[in-house]
Amino acid sequence: MVGETLRNYLMIAWLLPLAGFVVEIFFGFYSKNPRHSKAAAWCAVGCIGAGFLCSCAALVTWGNANDWCALEHHDSHGEHADAGHETAGHEHGEHAAGDHHVAEPAHNAAAAGEDHGHEHAVAAASGDAADHDDHASGSQQTTYSGVLYTLGKFGSLELSLDYYIDSLTLVMFTMVTLIATCIHLFAMGYMSEELTDEYVDHQAHTSDGKHVHRPGRFYRFFAFLSLFCFAMLGLVLAGNIFQVFIFWELVGICSFLLIGFYTERKSASNAANKAFIMNRVGDFGFLIGLMVLWTFFGTFRFGDTTNAEGVVAEQGLFSMVHRDEATGNFLTEPITGDVLITDNHGHALQQDGQNRSIPYYLLVVAGLGVFAGCVGKSAQFPLQTWLPDAMEGPTPVSALVHSATMVAAGVYLTGRFFPMFVQEVLLTIAYIGCITLFVAATIAVVATDIKKVLAYSTISQLGYMMLGLGVFGWGAGLFHLITHAFFKSLMFLCSGSVIHGCHHEQEMPKMGGLLKKMPITAITMLVGVCAIAGFPMLFGLHFSGFHSKDAIVASALAFMKANPSHFLLFFIPLLTAGITAFYMFRLWFYTFWGTPRDHHVHEHAHESPWIMTVPLLILAPLAWLCAYGGESGPLYLMLTGDAPSHLANGVAAATEGGLVMPGHEAVHAVHIQAGLLALAAAFSGALIAYILYGTNLVNVEQMKNQLSGIHGFLANKWHFDDLYDALFMKPAHKVAAFCAWFDKTVFDSILHGSAKLVVLVSQWDRIFDEKVVDGFVNLLGTSTQSVGRSFKVVQTGRLRQYVMFIVLGVVALFAVVFTTFPG
Amino acid sequence: MSSMFTIFALAACLGAIAVVISQSIARMAFWLIVSLGSVAGLFFLSDADFIGAAQLLIYVGGTLVLLVFGIMLTASGPYMKIETSPAETMIAGMIGLLFLFMVFSTISGVDWEGSRQQIVEATGQPSGTVGFDDNSEGNTLRPLGFAVLGLRPDRDLASGQNTSPGYLLPFEIASVHLLVVLIGASYLARAKRRRDVA
Amino acid sequence: MQPSLSNYLLVGAVLFVCGVICMATKRNGIGVLMGVELVLNGANINFVAFSKFTALGLDGQVFSLFVIVLAAAEAAVALAIALNFYNNHLTIDVDRGNKLKG
Repeated sequence: MVGETLRNYLMIAWLLPLAGFVVEIFFGFYSKNPRHSKAAAWCAVGCIGAGFLCSCAALVTWGNANDWCALEHHDSHGEHADAGHETAGHEHGEHAAGDHHVAEPAHNAAAAGEDHGHEHAVAAASGDAADHDDHASGSQQTTYSGVLYTLGKFGSLELSLDYYIDSLTLVMFTMVTLIATCIHLFAMGYMSEELTDEYVDHQAHTSDGKHVHRPGRFYRFFAFLSLFCFAMLGLVLAGNIFQVFIFWELVGICSFLLIGFYTERKSASNAANKAFIMNRVGDFGFLIGLMVLWTFFGTFRFGDTTNAEGVVAEQGLFSMVHRDEATGNFLTEPITGDVLITDNHGHALQQDGQNRSIPYYLLVVAGLGVFAGCVGKSAQFPLQTWLPDAMEGPTPVSALVHSATMVAAGVYLTGRFFPMFVQEVLLTIAYIGCITLFVAATIAVVATDIKKVLAYSTISQLGYMMLGLGVFGWGAGLFHLITHAFFKSLMFLCSGSVIHGCHHEQEMPKMGGLLKKMPITAITMLVGVCAIAGFPMLFGLHFSGFHSKDAIVASALAFMKANPSHFLLFFIPLLTAGITAFYMFRLWFYTFWGTPRDHHVHEHAHESPWIMTVPLLILAPLAWLCAYGGESGPLYLMLTGDAPSHLANGVAAATEGGLVMPGHEAVHAVHIQAGLLALAAAFSGALIAYILYGTNLVNVEQMKNQLSGIHGFLANKWHFDDLYDALFMKPAHKVAAFCAWFDKTVFDSILHGSAKLVVLVSQWDRIFDEKVVDGFVNLLGTSTQSVGRSFKVVQTGRLRQYVMFIVLGVVALFAVVFTTFPG
Repeated sequence: MSSMFTIFALAACLGAIAVVISQSIARMAFWLIVSLGSVAGLFFLSDADFIGAAQLLIYVGGTLVLLVFGIMLTASGPYMKIETSPAETMIAGMIGLLFLFMVFSTISGVDWEGSRQQIVEATGQPSGTVGFDDNSEGNTLRPLGFAVLGLRPDRDLASGQNTSPGYLLPFEIASVHLLVVLIGASYLARAKRRRDVA
Repeated sequence: MQPSLSNYLLVGAVLFVCGVICMATKRNGIGVLMGVELVLNGANINFVAFSKFTALGLDGQVFSLFVIVLAAAEAAVALAIALNFYNNHLTIDVDRGNKLKG
């Protein structure tokens, strides 16, 4: 069974980092020489590297199983696709329509790619004929889902660990494992300073002003990295949204651990807390979304589960809502407008004689809730402020967080959950992405910390991805996710190399002219910069960012044409494409070009050791070429192999004046136009950057002073932190202060009052006890004693007196008797 | 006979009063002899020959001699006097007179003849037999001897059946008692070293 | 005229009261013993008188006989006690024996 093979491969790739984590954290601690040994790093690299090989194997298995039909997909779609493809081909100027037959999955490791190139061509050729029919009926299985382990059963409801494997999962797996492997290798060099018994942290101070001395934590760093990879891979493999949530949180805690790795630094621990707490805000929405889904659908699964005979045993979420084939809208109840919950063939499920349905607005709530989680995780507006602070972590962590794992998770989930999003949610996603990309890009323009610039560019690029998803460019958004992962990890590793070479100097104004000192870093960085800026061809091959950003801008343009009122969704990304090119080239020129600004830094700068440059040399070609072929290239086709079915034809307006989602045809129609506009923006941005920072034509400092108002505004990150401080922190402090005051005055006084009351009562009780009870008993005693004492006087001890008493007694007795009985 | 009674009664009473009044212990002993001897005379007058003889023998001849020996053994000096305070004497005299008055009034207030009749009726004793047989007047030696041996000829003969238990057991107890007292007294009085020499 | 029962009783009462006063006033231990003898004799007179004048019969005389016997025994023991007392206190004053004082 292909499904089981895939499952096993991916399970191995997924669980190896966990095993690595366990080994590293325990054996790393108990080994003979934990502070000096690189064994933990090699273990981590081995685990994730093996995971990468398994992922590649899974990818190949999947491709072979369906005759690489994903790569045919585009072609077989009918005349409009062909036409679109031809125009794309002309524009690129190098591809014939059928070129992708021999295009290897270049983003794979070379091993996987080369071995299967020919095989694939044959398979594709033989499968070509059948493909057309297959696609119409959809009989070709490309999605595999099932249950790994059942966590619990509640009546008919079931919680389990599932897997859901389609082309997106496989591509993500390969990408994550590949990049993580490179980052692990890089980190081995970068973190080598930790290989000591006494690490001096120059940025952390003890209370008496000295530097903090602590043991190195090399093995622990790699243990956390492994756990991080495990969490991310689990998230990608997850077959239900609850499982996604579990690993979502695990990713969160790993990022917390890694961002706060230099825990002695106040800023680092603050940043870790900030990242964690901001994510919780989003996760709150996520939980609400989960509750809505659980209540109405009764399952968290994405895909259907099949029993041994291949019959559907239990439906997943995606098959429970069906879209109208003509318009692309959800099937709804005619009167109420509620969305029907259907079986696999689009017939409404019955419950108590009624059609099962979910109110439309709750579907919106569920979508927004899930997206809220993605906003937090992917650092979208308004929860974007944690990500720049997360730069406090070691640079390899930043690279991992920003490219393959943490922030990618949000975009991945948005893409994974795409079929459940209604138009309103998509519009929200688009606008949030749009705001985010613009805000972050403007801040990046004025940032001077090399890592901060990259952090803001990450936020901006994530905004692009969200925008792409939101304007119905599903493939474009995820395409950008993959390409961005490559070039952003490359750039982060480059910046790490720079920081390492400059002895932990991160301020760009102190660098400059490093091109000669660190040529490999500079060149690879330039590749990344060109890629993110979206530059076209170098030696006849386009940079990856060019393809993916083109796709997004094209989707946005098509969306704008379909819905003219949302014109901002096109123009802002277009403008930002120019800004992106500007600030990225600014970074490069600032750092590597020109004359050294700080001679001390410059003199001590040196190229990084081979273990850090090798990952750069691996990643640079990938960042350049991974999107080879653009939207008819293997990566894109592979990625969109299992795209949601309603994408192709778009969605018609559900109501009068409602949103219209453009189909592929509409996107292709505007592709050249959008591409040219984006290219123009990128070139102009790069040109301005060169003029300002590459030459000495303009005094930048002077310009900065003249624009001090806007510069200050941007340098203060649009005052978001201040805004949140005023909006949430201050009121929270006020409320807390009030609560404390209330506690102290009211509750404490009640408590003290009751305590005093108890004391009073007990004092009174004591008095009562002493005076009344004791008094009574004492009175009895003393009266008895005094009676005895008085009788003691009678006991004179004199015999003769006793005789007298006897006589007197007798006399008295007689007297009494005679007076009582007279006569 | 009544004159004899008067003499003996007066002697007994005056002797007793003299015992109370006299301050010397030796005189007290003397007056006690007078008083007890007179009492013996009164016994004889009331037809109790044996008791009167026993009185003379045991009391006057035994007990009083014992007392005189006691006086001799304990006398500190030839004319030893232990004075009683006058107030005490006065109070004792007052209380004694009060007691005497009460007893007198009680005795004189009782109708002895009437009560004797009632007792006779209640017990069914023959009313004729009061006291002893006139024939055996004063001769009580034999009846007493029988009585202490457990025989009551006076009672049994009168009622015609042997019902009275007699005094055999009290007699035995008394004899044992005397023996014990004899041993105990000799034990108590034996010469022994004083504890407080000072 | 024959003496009546009351006459005997009156004599017994006088003896009795004299004995009691003697016991109460004499500080000499032997004097106290004499008072006791007087009291016992007063009682004896009563027994004998009732024996003669009532249906008590011979029982009264038997009782008076026992009284005499017991009085002799009492006198012997009391004298022994008195001697002991004298040995301990070097006096016969009963007021010195106030160990029973409360």
